Amino acid sequence: MKFIKKHIPLLIVLVVGVLTLASYYVPNKYSVDYLELMNKWENIVSAFAFLLGLISLFYSHYNKIKRKTDGWGYSLFVYVGFLAMVVPALMNGGRQMVDGQVTSLGWSFRYIYNALSATMFAVLAFYIVSTAYRSFRIKSAQAFVLFVAAFILILGKVPLGQIIWDSVLGWTHTGIDQVIEWIMSVPAVAGKRGIMIGIAIGAVVTSLKIIFGIERQYMGRD
Amino acid sequence: MKEKLEKFFKIDRRWIFLLLAVVLFVPILKPLGLPNKTISRDTQNAFNYLDKLPAGSFVLFSLDYDPSTRPELQPQAIAAIRHAFKKNLRVAVVTYIAGSTGLIQQIFEKLPAEYGKVNGTDYAIFPYMANATAVMTQMASDFYGIYDKDQDGRDAKSLPVMKGVKTYKDMAMVVNITGTSMLDFWVAYVGDKYKVPVVGGVTAISQPGYGPYLQTGQLKGLIGGMKGAAEYESLVKEPGKGTSGIDALNLAHLLVLGLILTSNIILLVIRYL
Repeated sequence: MKFIKKHIPLLIVLVVGVLTLASYYVPNKYSVDYLELMNKWENIVSAFAFLLGLISLFYSHYNKIKRKTDGWGYSLFVYVGFLAMVVPALMNGGRQMVDGQVTSLGWSFRYIYNALSATMFAVLAFYIVSTAYRSFRIKSAQAFVLFVAAFILILGKVPLGQIIWDSVLGWTHTGIDQVIEWIMSVPAVAGKRGIMIGIAIGAVVTSLKIIFGIERQYMGRD
Repeated sequence: MKEKLEKFFKIDRRWIFLLLAVVLFVPILKPLGLPNKTISRDTQNAFNYLDKLPAGSFVLFSLDYDPSTRPELQPQAIAAIRHAFKKNLRVAVVTYIAGSTGLIQQIFEKLPAEYGKVNGTDYAIFPYMANATAVMTQMASDFYGIYDKDQDGRDAKSLPVMKGVKTYKDMAMVVNITGTSMLDFWVAYVGDKYKVPVVGGVTAISQPGYGPYLQTGQLKGLIGGMKGAAEYESLVKEPGKGTSGIDALNLAHLLVLGLILTSNIILLVIRYL
């Protein structure tokens, strides 16, 4: 039993992992065919993951409604929103426009999904401004450097800021766009590159640990 | 005095919300009309790269954003597609974000007619696909292995716009406009591996993260945020939503700076006086 539950999955991961890794570097017909096959399988698995996620979401909100937990009324909108998009999509075969006419799916997209999604994101702007006022405290040298960089970037992103910069610091003969270019090309890139290298090394190490069976958490407890 | 100042920190946040709403609405009602005086290097590079392509070149647009980032990214996409149409380039559009499909539809409702472009002959729109990295890899060996039909159900291979296009080798460049990390995938899985020039368009907040790719030439150019959209619009000489949108941002940006400065000055006064 242990052989089936433990050793076989580890062997599959090892073989598939090594083949996929090797096929990235070997431009051969067999490796290309192999990658194509794996991609198709991945798409099929993704489709099942979508379905699983949907079932899980519905089940979780069904329980909230059934138990009448706090805010259960909002859970009803999960079903309303789902039906408002999926029913028109099924009716129109997923097409938002037919012969120059907006279908019911196109209408739902424009006037329900579009509006709700944009509103959710727009509300964020209000919280960001409020948080900037309440929480952005310059209490250390690092915070001061961060503030100066943010100040210049925010100012330089709009014409009014550029005008203010020119009228106050025009005598330096250095435009705010030049300062922004420097911030973006030197300190920002240095920081980002360090993060990227760190993430890449971490990802390589974790992948190798999974391929060679050192990391086995994905197999569950049994 | 100290207690009075401390009250400013406990101000009801709804006042700040109201203030922001006012500074956003005022320029919409009465535009400031300030000219955008500078063009950033990365936007200029993006423009130049597309501009130097010979007429008839095939450009793949990957438009991966949903309505939440629409104000910044839709003007970028419109400006870049306008540029491609002006240059008589062949355009194909793909997306890996389901919420993007309706926005793509809206772009192509009117834009092609302005340049006399015909669906299937000058441009093609392909349906949404899940699992972007798998699709990107698949397109390297056979585009039609994934996209056998266009959005309208026509055989993709037989479309005149797709003539001679099978893999990335047949594409002049990829333009990815996204509010996600999709641009990283295009660079890593396509640009680097198959030597396809990649140009990006991203939100202002994620723009600084792409500096390393720009320095190494992995990205040929980058349009950043609404300012980038306004810059590209001015390069294409077609002012649009980017140009008008940046007007509303003028006062909002200054408000954020003003609030941060105010709170920190109050903090200094409380601490040292």
